[in-house]
Amino acid sequence: MNSLPQWLKKRITINEAFFDTRKTLSELSINTVCESGRCPNISECFSSGSVTFMILGRTCTRSCGFCSVKKTGLPETVDTQEPERIADCIKRLGIKYAVVTSVTRDDLDDGGSGQFVKTVEAIRRAVEDVTVELLIPDLAGDPDPIRSVALSGADVIGHNIETIKRLYPFIRKEADYYRSLGVLRSIKEIDPRVLTKSAILAGLGETKEELLEVMMDLRRVGCDILAVGQYLSPSKENYPVDRFVPPEEFEFYKEAGLDMGFRNVSAAPFVRSSYHAEEEYDKCHAAAFS
Amino acid sequence: MTNVTLPPLAEGVDKASISFWYKQPGEAVKTGEDLVELVTDKATFNMPSPANGKIKELLVGEGDSAKVGQTIAVIE
Repeated sequence: MNSLPQWLKKRITINEAFFDTRKTLSELSINTVCESGRCPNISECFSSGSVTFMILGRTCTRSCGFCSVKKTGLPETVDTQEPERIADCIKRLGIKYAVVTSVTRDDLDDGGSGQFVKTVEAIRRAVEDVTVELLIPDLAGDPDPIRSVALSGADVIGHNIETIKRLYPFIRKEADYYRSLGVLRSIKEIDPRVLTKSAILAGLGETKEELLEVMMDLRRVGCDILAVGQYLSPSKENYPVDRFVPPEEFEFYKEAGLDMGFRNVSAAPFVRSSYHAEEEYDKCHAAAFS
Repeated sequence: MTNVTLPPLAEGVDKASISFWYKQPGEAVKTGEDLVELVTDKATFNMPSPANGKIKELLVGEGDSAKVGQTIAVIE
């Protein structure tokens, strides 16, 4: 009855910290992509106090096939208190490496970039010595919002290319492959000290060669950090899994990526953009200013 | 006596199927040892035992599902 391959078994870690993390998030009315995205790593990360904050509400203006975040109904009004609550949560949970993502907000003039900037500012005011990673939407490729996020003071800025160009009409139909590459390029051009990051979902129907091409396109725009993980369909309404990529193939992508010049590559079935983000950052931090 | 309950695994996912019990009633189990394999739409999970002891009872059979918070086994 279990059709998932043996290597796709996630070990559940539930301890006091898991419930403490959930309680703190709930008390502060903070959303996480961990919960909305039904990430299978949630028990592991929450049990070690690691979360990926999701700002700008829980309703997304896109309809990407791989994602379980709510897509229907009107997006929420932007919560002006949200940045402070996120900063408060980081303080309470003793987080040293903060990851903040959002839903896409095509309805907002600035695409939500202002809220990202305010969140980074609030974090910096509240906590000393915290590394901040943002995972941003494409901001419609608009130069001004992209610029303000690039100059926000974040240490790492990620934007996920997700898949190959050929599958965009099915997987990310409101997005544009080249627009997304452009976002990464722009950030690097505006501030080369910011580390840029992207992630690819494997097993959506791409071939090995096609995935390698995406990796090369990412390197061409100066992307520093790459994460490659197995696509898992979050619900029956989502796009189906085409293939379960074996661990050896993920190893192959990792080696290929390092050869291509990524500062760090994490590639394994359960890897996600922010999975073990701090450890992955530490691995390339030494090289950052070389 | 420890009631082993199904933990919250993902938002909007309020149940999981038991696909395999690593231990049977009467068997000894240590904290952290594999206890049960759970399956949801998105992933398969290995749940370790939350306590040391002996399996008193398995309350959900392989192939059946359980709700989050439901007691699935008892360890004494």
